[in-house]
Amino acid sequence: CRCRALLSRPAGALRARRGLAAGPEMHFGFQTVTEEERREKIYQVFENVAKKYDVMNDSMTLGIHRVWKDILVHKMNPCPGTLLLDVAGGTGDIAFRFINYVRSVRKRQLQRKLKHHQNLSWQEIFESYQKDEFNSLGDSQVVVCDINREMLKVGKEKAQHLGYSEGLSWVLGNAEELPFDDDKFDVYTIAFGIRNVTRIDLALQEAYRVLKPGGRFLCLEFSHVSNPLLSRLYDLYSFQVIPVLGEVIAGDWRSYQYLVESIRQFPPQEELKAMIEDAGFFKVDYENLNFGIVAIHSGFKL
Amino acid sequence: QHYPPLRALQASAVLRRAPDEHKKEPLTSSSQQHFDSPPAGHQPEQKPQGPRASYTGQGGQESEDYESEEQLQHRILTAALEFVPEHGWTAEAIAEGAKTLGLSVAAAGMFHSDGSELILHFVSECNSKLSELLEKEQKLVQLGEAEKKPIDEFLRDAVEARLRMLIPYIEKWPQALSVLLLPRNIPSSLNLLTSMIDDIWHYAGDQSTDFNWYTRRAVLTGIYNTTELVMMQDSSPGFEDTWRFLENRVADAMTMSNTASQVQSTGEAVVQGLMGAAVTVSN
Repeated sequence: CRCRALLSRPAGALRARRGLAAGPEMHFGFQTVTEEERREKIYQVFENVAKKYDVMNDSMTLGIHRVWKDILVHKMNPCPGTLLLDVAGGTGDIAFRFINYVRSVRKRQLQRKLKHHQNLSWQEIFESYQKDEFNSLGDSQVVVCDINREMLKVGKEKAQHLGYSEGLSWVLGNAEELPFDDDKFDVYTIAFGIRNVTRIDLALQEAYRVLKPGGRFLCLEFSHVSNPLLSRLYDLYSFQVIPVLGEVIAGDWRSYQYLVESIRQFPPQEELKAMIEDAGFFKVDYENLNFGIVAIHSGFKL
Repeated sequence: QHYPPLRALQASAVLRRAPDEHKKEPLTSSSQQHFDSPPAGHQPEQKPQGPRASYTGQGGQESEDYESEEQLQHRILTAALEFVPEHGWTAEAIAEGAKTLGLSVAAAGMFHSDGSELILHFVSECNSKLSELLEKEQKLVQLGEAEKKPIDEFLRDAVEARLRMLIPYIEKWPQALSVLLLPRNIPSSLNLLTSMIDDIWHYAGDQSTDFNWYTRRAVLTGIYNTTELVMMQDSSPGFEDTWRFLENRVADAMTMSNTASQVQSTGEAVVQGLMGAAVTVSN
């Protein structure tokens, strides 16, 4: 298997390639490439997988990725009126979940308000229903930003198919250089995207810039498993099963080989936490899901 | 809670920093400055240039000029109390509070989603207010400007003063009580309760060093808790029923302690009588 030859690289060299710009040499999976090449290659990877992205997610993680994304939105606990920026949000999974969550919170809010106003006349009740029906999201909005046109296209089609229309916008943009003004968003999320960013420190700085004071940064990403037994099983599954699934289902094993390798190259939980703190975030913390297969990092712009 | 030592040097978006005059003062005095917890609501005069030298615990000299995360959280919770009657003790109230401070609503994510921190914050604020009140009264007594109250009146007044602080939030207080009883919150809430009861007894002049220390606190805790529960479902004007209930319970406690000491002295008398009889008989 090709990956075994690559795994024999010395550990020191691997560590030097951890995401920060240490010169023009970067990692692309287990290969060494320049920054430009890396951006291009990643763009191509996602261009190729865009149509089968969701199907592959389901088959690789056995559907557990849905639970992970649910947990992320629950942790966010958004209230109506929140402005969310979902970076690398491609096919819109986080955005749709956010909209559902806010809708149900809003419904509960309206019910509570009506319960309080027990002595309204019929006219008043009718007016309040009219007013609030057009505000089922409570002014919440989500902006989905992705660098890849294909992914955005798939996302827009999905939104149309599932019936999500209001409170949603799609923007083409680079996480390292966001096309937004300062202090705009309440929450910034990046789910399974920061791994593919070439300069993570720049992306974190941009996140800091576009968040309002008090705003929250949330990052859902594959991380490192510390339990040795589990780590062996996980490696086995990653390197043996996933590229094969990629070939069978999406006809593209190289992209999934890249995916699995990039997970190994990504900084572990504590290191990412330090990077987030360096960007200026406070109260930075992380929560391991599934023993560290996935971790949610959270920080506040205080 | 950790205080990142030198990170305060970065331009923080929200954590306030002191103006330059304070830096020139000797460090000892600047470390004593402590802002009073501001009244809930807007404070438009306290813009970022406001004098807010805050002490931030460990860390270098520069970090003394910055507000710590804890203090910011304290401010958010205080601001959130204003919204409790409308939203209850929830993350929504905290979000509204954060909004009034100019922060994003996402700042409520710093706290637990069931509002525990808000309730604990409120309880500890009430306890501090009670301590201040009792301290002031004690000073007046020491200066001779007021009479020293008898114990039962003192206890009654202290518990009443403390319970009156709940009145603005009385509708949502049952919810708060139930959250305080969650296993996760029990250590903190028990801690706050016992320290409050201890405070009251201290200012009542209790200096016992024997088992009485425990019985007194247990009795007062019982009185406080039961009165609180009565207050929850009291609909009389001005909560008269509750205060009458409190009066009766405190009277009961006094009677009980009198009875206990009577029983003890009777017991001693009986024992002495028996001893005397035994001596007489042996002679």
